[in-house]
Parts: sequence; structure tokens; C-alpha cells
Amino acid sequence: MSVNRVISAGMIFLLLGCFQAQASSFEAATGQVKAQLVASVDAVRPGDEILVGVQQRIIPHWHTYWKNPGDSGLATRIDYELPAGATAGEIQWPTPERITTGPVTNYGYSNQVTLLSTLKVPDNIAAGGVFPVKAKVKWLVCEEECIPQEVDLALELPVVLPGADVGRGSPLIETARAGLPVASPWPVSLAHRDNALVLKIKGLGQQSASIGNIWFFPDDWGRVAHGADQPRHIEGDTVELQLKPGDAPLPPGAKLAGVLVVTEGSGSGSVARGYVVDVADSDTAPKAESELVLASAMLLALLGGVILNLMPCVFPVLSIKALALIKHARHEPRQTRLHGLAYTLGILASFLLLGVILIALKAGGAEIGWGFQFQSPLFVLAVAYLMFTVGLSLSGVFSIGSSVAGVGSKLAGRSGYSGSFFTGVLATVVATPCTAPFMGAAVGFALSQPPVVLLAVFLSLGLGLALPYLLLSNWPSLQRRLPKPGVWMDRLKQGMAFPMYAAAVWLVWVLAQQSGINSIVVALGGMVAIAFAAWLYEITKYSAKTAQRTGLGFSALLLSAALFGGYFGVQTPASAVAATNAETANTYWQPYTPARLKELRDQGKPVFINFTAAWCISCLVNEKVALSQDAVIDAFKHGGITYLKGDWTNRDPEITRILAEFGRSGVPLYLYYPAGNSARPVILPQILTPEIVTQAVAPPDLAVKQ
Amino acid sequence: MLANRFSQSVLAGFIFAFAAATAQAEPVVNQPAPVFSGATADGTTLNLADLKGKTVILEWTNHECPFVKKHYESGNIQSLQKQAAEQGIVWLQVISSAPGKQGHVDGETAKKLNSDRGATPSHTVFDPEGTIGKLYAATNTPQFFIINPEGVLLYKGGIDSIPSADKADIAKAENYISAALKELAAGKSITKSSTKPYGCTVKYAS
Repeated sequence: MSVNRVISAGMIFLLLGCFQAQASSFEAATGQVKAQLVASVDAVRPGDEILVGVQQRIIPHWHTYWKNPGDSGLATRIDYELPAGATAGEIQWPTPERITTGPVTNYGYSNQVTLLSTLKVPDNIAAGGVFPVKAKVKWLVCEEECIPQEVDLALELPVVLPGADVGRGSPLIETARAGLPVASPWPVSLAHRDNALVLKIKGLGQQSASIGNIWFFPDDWGRVAHGADQPRHIEGDTVELQLKPGDAPLPPGAKLAGVLVVTEGSGSGSVARGYVVDVADSDTAPKAESELVLASAMLLALLGGVILNLMPCVFPVLSIKALALIKHARHEPRQTRLHGLAYTLGILASFLLLGVILIALKAGGAEIGWGFQFQSPLFVLAVAYLMFTVGLSLSGVFSIGSSVAGVGSKLAGRSGYSGSFFTGVLATVVATPCTAPFMGAAVGFALSQPPVVLLAVFLSLGLGLALPYLLLSNWPSLQRRLPKPGVWMDRLKQGMAFPMYAAAVWLVWVLAQQSGINSIVVALGGMVAIAFAAWLYEITKYSAKTAQRTGLGFSALLLSAALFGGYFGVQTPASAVAATNAETANTYWQPYTPARLKELRDQGKPVFINFTAAWCISCLVNEKVALSQDAVIDAFKHGGITYLKGDWTNRDPEITRILAEFGRSGVPLYLYYPAGNSARPVILPQILTPEIVTQAVAPPDLAVKQ
Repeated sequence: MLANRFSQSVLAGFIFAFAAATAQAEPVVNQPAPVFSGATADGTTLNLADLKGKTVILEWTNHECPFVKKHYESGNIQSLQKQAAEQGIVWLQVISSAPGKQGHVDGETAKKLNSDRGATPSHTVFDPEGTIGKLYAATNTPQFFIINPEGVLLYKGGIDSIPSADKADIAKAENYISAALKELAAGKSITKSSTKPYGCTVKYAS
């Protein structure tokens, strides 16, 4: 009997011990707040990094505070007490709300919030034991009145062997992560204007129609007046928020850090999302300094332009000009000078045009960089043809006119000053592919600057390109240093054809990257046609009138065949290629059609559908932070899930209908149809993290396990 | 296009002019402090303009606020009041709690509260409509303003550097008011003249 007694007493003692640990542990409540300590795992492995969170469930009308509580209040504080060797990170604060009481504005949370921190489990913790997490949580909770409160929470997580399953932990963690501010998808800059700070959010203006509210929340107290209005002003694609400095204004040179909260839509359908902002005041740099930057950028561009002359694509064109110079310079100094000027003008005009196009595209909101024109396969093909044609001309397959100056190309071949002008244009066109690697810094700087600066840098680049020839044509003393004309000029000219062919080969390779293998056939076929046309033109040039005309006609026909073939040959495969690449390349999704969905459902295949629109901010952010992440793509691949994307950018009644079916009047809508014909679709939240998606689409056996 | 530009800049100009005007309305350190008059716990009317020639400290208070309690139950504010009195500084408690809201009291209660706490302000000023509070953009209790004999604002902000409701933090914190009083006594300007107040929200009517 005594043995039994002892055992049962021991059991009771153990049970009591357990209950006590539970009771004082992960939950605690005050009159206003229920707090609980949760973790991203059910067990830990030595060396793991886990997330823990303190969830506050707050009774209606009361609130707790963000890291910057605003005009009054106090941020919640969590002190973690952990075993030796374990460390806790800072609180990761979810996107706050503005809470206004009369003239006082606070930043905080109502209803519920989970404050996350990263915990590092020590490497030397023994498997089989427990990892105790204790948190002393202090907060101020206010409605009208404020009550400082403090609770102790504790959690014990079993320690398992490395490699063992750690479970899924609390779903609150993922919900909280979805509420954290994310990196801003738009470039944000800061300027000073009179008494106000102006936060400029570039690109957000395009979506302004769908935006309800925009508020900036400064990380630090008093950086902006917490309660002040933040008037919004749209300038092109840029949204400008005017921020009134508060009682602790931004010190000169300091960065403004905070969270930009953008609310889309209104009422119950609205979605608020926070974006991290950390910007330096662009105006704090003294004016002289930015002028210096501009001057050095212009100098850099000028040098870059000079270097461009030596590029394999430019040098041949330039050498043609130089050869012409050698021939004519001695007897016609004035004409030579004017040719030099015309050539320079041609280059500058081309660069000016490029600059203006860039500015126009930038104003249109396009994200472009230097060499943007090469994003078009058609342009690449055209330049490849041009290089090839110039090469043929240099090789002597054909020549236009008889002067050496005329062999540049068809356009550059025009004699007289317009010929020189167009040689300049040609030099610019062929120079652009070589610009990117050398001029990246200066052009990159120019692209981020106002139009005037951009044009200044571009014109410097052009001037640099024109400079050697300009100098040569203006300085007879330099001309005297040039070698005497002779046979070597022809040899050099012919030799120069080969860099042109090489450039054409490179461009065809670029084209193949853009439009697939078939475009090579189109491009090479076009080149054969061009070569044939050139040859026909040349052999009939000095024949009788009729033969000459026939030759010209055929040449023109072949030429247009090459161009049109290129136009249609390169245009059409583009979409075909996209379709064939669907499985392998970065297009891991397929366009949504009701028929495609029905087909997949009839086969009982799992399907994930993303209804999105180009003007929907949260859609784009979700695609960036969740749907295009490797973890999600892998999960889709492993689960054999077909990812369909329904684009609602332009109103589509089919999509509108399916949105309505799920009680929505707009995007985003994320649906997951699990495997099996009869499976009901799961609606995912409007704000996604990779984990929310991967957990939603995880095979059911895994989901049941925990 | 040009006209559009122009009208935009004009509009922007107006907005900033307006922002500047409102910025001026708030008390700004080294600018004249807003003048006010209000009923006191003694039943008299106090006019700030009448206190010209004396240094004045304004203390926004609400006796039920845990942060106010922290600094009264610890004796922190009482000792600041004594320090101020020794320097001949006028200490005004201001209560902006609206009727029916936390901290709203009548004259008798106010006097009793102070005698119970051993507090010795020169006067307690009632601001049930929140007029004075909004004039000074007071948001917290406790919150302080110091005005020099010429009526210029010298200090605005909190009591100390550790925002908490925990009395144990008082000793560890940097007491801004005590430091300011010492600097005033030494004839120096106040080093930290604008600090972050912390505490309960002032219980305005709206």
C-alpha cells in the first residue's frame, strides 16, 4: 500500500508541477489585455533560430503602442530571460495604426497585435531537455485612461536532435509576419521645402486611383509632428507627402526612418500595408557639392565618349571618316572643318534624341536603364543588319558612290555635309551597345537626375565621341602628323570589316537570348538576303540602265524581304517561345482561363490561382515578397501544383464573375484548389508571406501531422 | 502646361505658408510663450501676463494618471517644486481634464490632493475646455513648460529621460527639470530645451 501511495503522491506532485508551469506560463490576462507567448516551432534543435511572439488581445476601444508611441503613451517592452548562450533580437513591430484622441495622435495597435522577436537557440543545448523562454512584458494600455501593466510569460520548448521535425508552431507567428512592413517597391526620396519635409514616392502615383490613405509613421519620436495632416500631392507618377517637422526635427544629414502605410480601397475591403522607409535628405548636400558631382559626371562622360572611339563597333566607322580626312584635308581645309562640325552635330543630335526619349520614358514611369533600346529584339536585329551591311561595304562587296568617305553605310554614304552628319548618327547607333559597361556610372547617375542634368551628361558623352575627329579636322598641325594616303588605306578598310562582322555575331547571339533559337534563322537568312542584294546592286551598278534598274529592284525586294522577314519572324516567335519556356524558364505560371481551370480540375490536379492587376499595389507586393520566392516556386513544383495567373488589369467579365463567386469585388484574390476533383477551394489572405502560401499548399498529411 | 506648373507652385506656396503659420501657433522654444488666463483652485483668475518679471513653470497634471502618480508618490515632483520655490520661480499646475474625465477636480479637491501629497505649487489652474492645453499643444501628463521673466519659452518637454511608470527608474533617469532649474540658477541657458514628454494623454473633451 505504501508503495502505491508514494507513487500516486509522486504522480500528483508531478501533475501539479506541470499544471503550475502551464498556469503561470504562456498566457496571462489583465482587465484589458490577454497576452500569450507563442513560437514558430513546437520544438527546437540546437543552434536553431526561431521566432517567438507576444500576442496582445486588447478589448475594444483600448490600444497598446508602437515603438514610437506618438504624442503620448509608451511602447510595449519585452525582456526575454533565456538560458545561457541564447539571445533574443529586437522586437519586429507590425505596421501600426494612427489613433487620434482630440488633439493627441498616437501610433499603436487595437484589437490584437503580435510582437515578434528572433531567438537564437544555443549550439550546446542537449537534445531531450527543454529550452525555456521567459518573457517579462510591460505595456501601457489606454482608452481614455491609461494603465501600465506587466505580465510574466513562459514557454518550454522540447529540444530535439538536429534534423528532427520541429513542427509548425503557432499560426499567429505567420499572421504577424504578414503584418510586418516590407521593403518599399518604389524608390523613396526626401527633400526639404521651406518648413516641411517632402517624402517622394516614385511610381506610387500610377496606382493613386486605388489608394485610400497614405501615412508616414516616423520610427523616432518628434521627427514629424505626429498628429499633423500629411497632404498628398501627385506629380506625374510620384506621390509627394508633406510632413511637418515635429518637436525633434531631423538633424542635418540624418536619415528619416519610418514606415509608410498605404491603404488600398476603403471600408471593409481595404488592405493596409506598411513599407520600410529609410532615406537621407537629398537636399542636405550643399549645392556646390552636387555641382561638383555633375561636373565630374560630365567629365567622366566626356572621357567615356573618347574611349568609345576605340570600341570595336565604333572604330571602323570612325576610321572611314579618318581615311576621308587624310584624302581631302590637304587641299580643302575649310571643307574638312565643316565636315568635322557636321559629324559632331550628327552625334550630338542623336544623343539629344536618345536623352529626350529616355526622359519621356522616365516620365511615363518606365523602369529603364541605359541601353533600353536593346530590350527590343527588333532593334537588336536592325542593328545586327546594319553592322553586317557596313561590314560588307568595308569588305568591298558593294560601295555607294565612289568616294571613300561614302562607304560608311547607306545613310552615312551620302556625300556632302549631310553624309558627315549621318556618319555621326551611325557612330552613335553603333556605339550604344558598347556604352553600357564603360559608362554605367555616369549614365546611371544621369538617369536618376532631373532632365537638364541628364541631357548635360548625354551631350558630354556625345561630345567625347565626336572629339577626336573634331580635333583632327580643326587642327591642320594634327592632320600633318597623319600618314600619307596609299594602298594601306584600302587594306585597313577591308580589315575593319571583321570587327563589324564580329559585332553582328554578338548581336545575333543577344537576339537568340531574347527571342529564342528560331530568331537566329531569321537573322542569318536576312543577312544572306542582304549580302545577295548588295552583290546584285554592285554588279549591275555600272551596266546598262535596264539591268541597273532590275538589279536595284531585286536588291530592294531582297532587302525588304530581310526586313519584313525579321519583323514578323522575330515578333511572332516571341509569344511561341514564351509558351514553350513555360515549364523551364522563369515563367512558372500560366495564364488563367476558365477552360484551363476546368481541364485541370477535371484531372483532379491541384491548382493555385492568383487574380492580380498591374495597378493593384498589394498584388504586386505579394508577388514580389511571396509568390516569386524560391520556397513558393519549389512548393508548387513539389506539389505538382499548376500556378494560374488571372490578369484583371483590364476589366475581364470572366474574372469579375469568379471574384464575385468568392464574395470579392476586386483583386487580390488567391485561391488554392487541393488535389482531387471534389476538393473545395481554399481562400488565402490578401497579404501573403512565403510561409502562408507554402503552408496552405502543403500536402494534407503534413498538415494533419501537427 | 506652364500655367499649370505655375498654379501648382502657387498652391504649394500657399500650403507652406499655411504650414508655417500653424507652426508659429505652437509654442516654440526661444519664442514668446502664448499668454492665457484661467480659474485657479483658490477661485481667483490667473493671468500669465501678470507674471511678467518672474520665471514660470507650467506642469500639466492628472492625479489619477499612473505616470503622474509615479512622480508624486516618489516625491520627485514635490522636491522639484521646492527647488523652484527657492529660486523664486512660480509653479503652476494645469489641469486640462474635461468634466467627467479622469483627473477632473474642483478647487477643494485640488487643494486637498496637494496637501495630502505634500505638493507645493504656487497655483493650480483649471482648463476644463482645454483652451490652454491646446494653446501649448500639451499632450501628456506630466508635461512641463518653462517661461522666462520676459515671457519667452525656455523649455518644453518631459520630466526625465526614462519613459516608464516604474518608480525604480527615477533614480536612473536624467531629470530634465532639475537640470534646467540648476542651469537657470547659474544664469546659463537650458541645454536640453525640448525633450520628449511621456505619460497619459491629456483628457481633453474632444
